[in-house]
Amino acid sequence: MTDTRVIVERPPAPAADGSAVHVRGLRMSFGGTEVLRGVGFDVRYGEVFCLLGPNGAGKTTTLEILEGFRVPTGGEVRVLGLDPAAQPARLRERAGMVLQECGFPRQARVAELLDLWRSYYPDPRPLGELLEVVELTEVRNTQVRRLSGGQRRRLDFALALAGDPELIFLDEPTTGFDPEARRRCWAAIENLRGLGKTILLTTHYLDEAERLADRIAILRAGRIELAGTTHEVAVRAGLATRVSFTTPSALRRGQIPPPDGIDLTICGPESVCHTANAAMTLRLLLAWATEHSLGDLGSLAVTAPRLEDTYLQLTSGDRG
Amino acid sequence: MSRTVRLAVRQAVLEQRSFWRSAEYALFTFAFPLMILLLIGAANVGSHLPGTDIKNTTVFVPGILAFSVIVAAYVNLGSKVAVLRHDGVLKRIRTTPLPAAAYLGGLLASTVVTAISITACTGLIGWLAFGAGPRAGELLALAGGLVLGTVCFASLGLAISSVITSAESAGPVAYASFLPIAIISGVFDPTFSGLPPWLSRLVAAFPVKALAEVLQNAYAVRPFPAWDLVNLGLWTAAGAAFAVWRFRWHT
Repeated sequence: MTDTRVIVERPPAPAADGSAVHVRGLRMSFGGTEVLRGVGFDVRYGEVFCLLGPNGAGKTTTLEILEGFRVPTGGEVRVLGLDPAAQPARLRERAGMVLQECGFPRQARVAELLDLWRSYYPDPRPLGELLEVVELTEVRNTQVRRLSGGQRRRLDFALALAGDPELIFLDEPTTGFDPEARRRCWAAIENLRGLGKTILLTTHYLDEAERLADRIAILRAGRIELAGTTHEVAVRAGLATRVSFTTPSALRRGQIPPPDGIDLTICGPESVCHTANAAMTLRLLLAWATEHSLGDLGSLAVTAPRLEDTYLQLTSGDRG
Repeated sequence: MSRTVRLAVRQAVLEQRSFWRSAEYALFTFAFPLMILLLIGAANVGSHLPGTDIKNTTVFVPGILAFSVIVAAYVNLGSKVAVLRHDGVLKRIRTTPLPAAAYLGGLLASTVVTAISITACTGLIGWLAFGAGPRAGELLALAGGLVLGTVCFASLGLAISSVITSAESAGPVAYASFLPIAIISGVFDPTFSGLPPWLSRLVAAFPVKALAEVLQNAYAVRPFPAWDLVNLGLWTAAGAAFAVWRFRWHT
């Protein structure tokens, strides 16, 4: 504390709460437009956290603030205990960043570029490991301009990993990729998780969030609508469990009444109901089936609420 | 400090390797001044500047040296930085803890290496083909002029890179913004004259003729180019100030 020039230094965030990223009341305005209106969430060490939301929801803006590229209009931000806007250099030694659409020196070779990147950091990861994690060992001597889109994306990951960061930001890692390229990107991200890295990723793909994330926050119109595990998010959205079975022919012909106390919809060969209490619904349903000698209901299925349903319900109002 | 220098050197090495790997780019950068040197030089063999015993080629060769410096420092560096910015490479550098000084220092060091190789080629071939070499004892003055020219046009290159709005237009903008001035500065024609006085004065205000005259002074006895040195110094300062003011890491 003898260095009196450091006057902006604030005390680091309390380590006790154990979050790698801590965001509260985050606001951001461009001109008169409010892009973020009080965003708050925490990312715990070692987890994969996904900011999910439609285009224009403020995902990239949030990430750019956490990366220290933008100074927020208001709110509290701590990344690895640092204030990103005030201490960008220290943050960049410890956090890897994969931006959307970011070019490479085109004539550089893969291994050569990774080696150059490693020299930027005090404690880099071994080159061979970097290549392995992102499955680029075979193209280590290829010039970057000859790589496919998916390979370039994985090189993005490797460059972000060069300094062996504790935390990695991934902004829409697979947007615009074919299924095979996405699968390999996901594998690379899962490898990163396997290394114990904390990962904060944004996406507008539900399957991506569902597959990769430990926890999810749904960002819409500058606010966090919901946050939690995939299941928690769906439950909190008040979504019902779906119970379905093959419509018995007697019911279809109107020879027997529909079950009491169940809001059943007959969609041709399939009957469906949505319920907040699946156990009660099943009891009623099976009693009704016994009463009318329907035997076992064909193709009886109980489906827990899915992220997709939650997401579509939340964002359905956004599309004209 | 030593870390910054070490990182700058690594950056410069990658830039040089990349430059030579894009063979047509490197070839064109070298071939353009050399072709002009040989073709126009051949047309001037045996001629003398009007009313003097100074051979045309003795002022023509240093003029092409000035041209080479401008191609390496202004056109190459300017369009390179514009493309790096447009492609998002600068933005990517910004995500790392690499100090800005190390990165830009590396780009500049690589530019200096390119400028040295291209002027060495031009000077050597001019000497071998036309017997035009610097005056005895003026080698240091020539080197000083080349250094000053490289610094001046590199700062102008960085400045123009901020004006270029797309990767596609980088090369055309860089060339179009100096070739016309180079032509009316007489860089390609030692006997060039007949400009209206106002245009003459305008040309004299630009740094192209100034650099050519500083280098020509090392080849043939001419009035000491004091004003040309002032001119280059002012353009260096103006270019550097504009470059710092307008520099952006992203588009």
